[in-house]
Amino acid sequence: MERRALILDPADNVASVIDRVEAGDTVIARLGNETKAVVALEDIPFGFKIALANLEAGEAVIKYGEVIGKASRPIARGALVHVHNVEGNRGRGDLQKRAEE
Amino acid sequence: MSASQVGPSREFLGFLRPDETVGIRNYVLVIPGGFISAKICECVNGVETIVTPNTGAGMTSRDRATVARTLTGLARNPNVAGVIVHNAGPSAGYPELNPLSLAEEAAKSGKPVEFLDVVKAGGQLEAIAQGVKMARRLVYEASKARREPFGLGKLTVGVKCGASDPTSGIAGNPAVGYLFDRIVEAGGVAMFGETTEIIGAEHILARRAATPAVAEAILEAARRTEERALATGEDIRTVNPVPANIAAGISTLEEKSLGAIHKAGHAVIQGCLQYAERPAGKGLYFVDNWMHPSSIFPGYAAAGAQLTMFQLGGGGTPARDILDPSPAVVAPLLWLSANPATRERCGFSLDYYSGTVIEGKETPEEAGERLISLVLETASGTWTRGETLRYSDPLEVYTLDPVF
Repeated sequence: MERRALILDPADNVASVIDRVEAGDTVIARLGNETKAVVALEDIPFGFKIALANLEAGEAVIKYGEVIGKASRPIARGALVHVHNVEGNRGRGDLQKRAEE
Repeated sequence: MSASQVGPSREFLGFLRPDETVGIRNYVLVIPGGFISAKICECVNGVETIVTPNTGAGMTSRDRATVARTLTGLARNPNVAGVIVHNAGPSAGYPELNPLSLAEEAAKSGKPVEFLDVVKAGGQLEAIAQGVKMARRLVYEASKARREPFGLGKLTVGVKCGASDPTSGIAGNPAVGYLFDRIVEAGGVAMFGETTEIIGAEHILARRAATPAVAEAILEAARRTEERALATGEDIRTVNPVPANIAAGISTLEEKSLGAIHKAGHAVIQGCLQYAERPAGKGLYFVDNWMHPSSIFPGYAAAGAQLTMFQLGGGGTPARDILDPSPAVVAPLLWLSANPATRERCGFSLDYYSGTVIEGKETPEEAGERLISLVLETASGTWTRGETLRYSDPLEVYTLDPVF
């Protein structure tokens, strides 16, 4: 099935799906009048993010044209992008603690 | 029709106060909280008071000053027609919380302020009797006030976003941003805050600051908050974004922050305020505060907001269908959402819905104009959905230091 997603900035490498997406669905991600089609590799709930490009581990995840975190493992185009494969860069008391130990 | 053409007809009906501010409600307030205040409220219609464990006792001088600012700020709020200050508060001995000073500060608004001296009255029960008499006269006089038309620029509003989900950044917060831009253009005051939730987006806000000093104050507020987070030894993601955010698809604090700042619209940021600090001028202000509703909304009201707004995602909080009435004591609270599931679940409790923008049924401008209409109607006297319920959470003053 064809499903919809929104891209919020031209620099983004993720889009927010605005339908419930199932694996195999073609997701039409829209930014203004431009669209990108990407096939979902897995189920993606309403509002969650889909990768528009292949990302290597450590690569910046971009939404709103800004860095929202980095890939904690490789992310394939069409995959769900969430806490299992993205980590934040800010407020990482855990990393600071580990560095101090 | 352009926004500026619509501007002049954007009016609401409010109560003119002696200091030229305009009330959208007409309460009498008793401060500080406690037994006496609670009993006066039970007996007399139209009286409000403060319920909070943060009385100032055992707090540092700067935190006591914040408590005092919250009390007098609520008293000076335009929605308050008259004030009673009593001297039976547990922190009356601290200089910042001297009841006579509180009464003096409240009186700067030019509205009637009565002092209820519990010792002179002969005890607390006697003071209650005297306070009931005072309050009855004050609410009776207040009831003679008549609403008159004023422009959007006479409004001061404060917003928080919460239980944020991806609809918040896409359509929920932008509707608030549209309202904020129009209020600022009209000469009013709009406040946003939640310092933790600008981490990752503070550089964007700093670029919008009126002066380098304001930019530095915003960056410094974010820095201080992040340092506190780092000192805990925990990943902030285990605290904020809160579980409801993550359950709804927000992956990191930065993502939450970058969505959250959309509620601030596009205006220049005139200043970085402390909790419950009154803005010196008009326009858009960032407030260095904490996100909790029982804290942030009374803080906005103490800074002069007649109306507050909660922009709710709600995708990750399926158990909440009744939305709490305002904890801001004298300022009503509008609940807004752009999430269709939240709208369906909350029904009557929700004041406004802008998910129409995601569904392609409305443009952001149309949704924004609809929010302005709602704000003007509410300012004119139509109740918020929350005002139909007799409940309010205790108020939590945002303090910075340890207690002793």
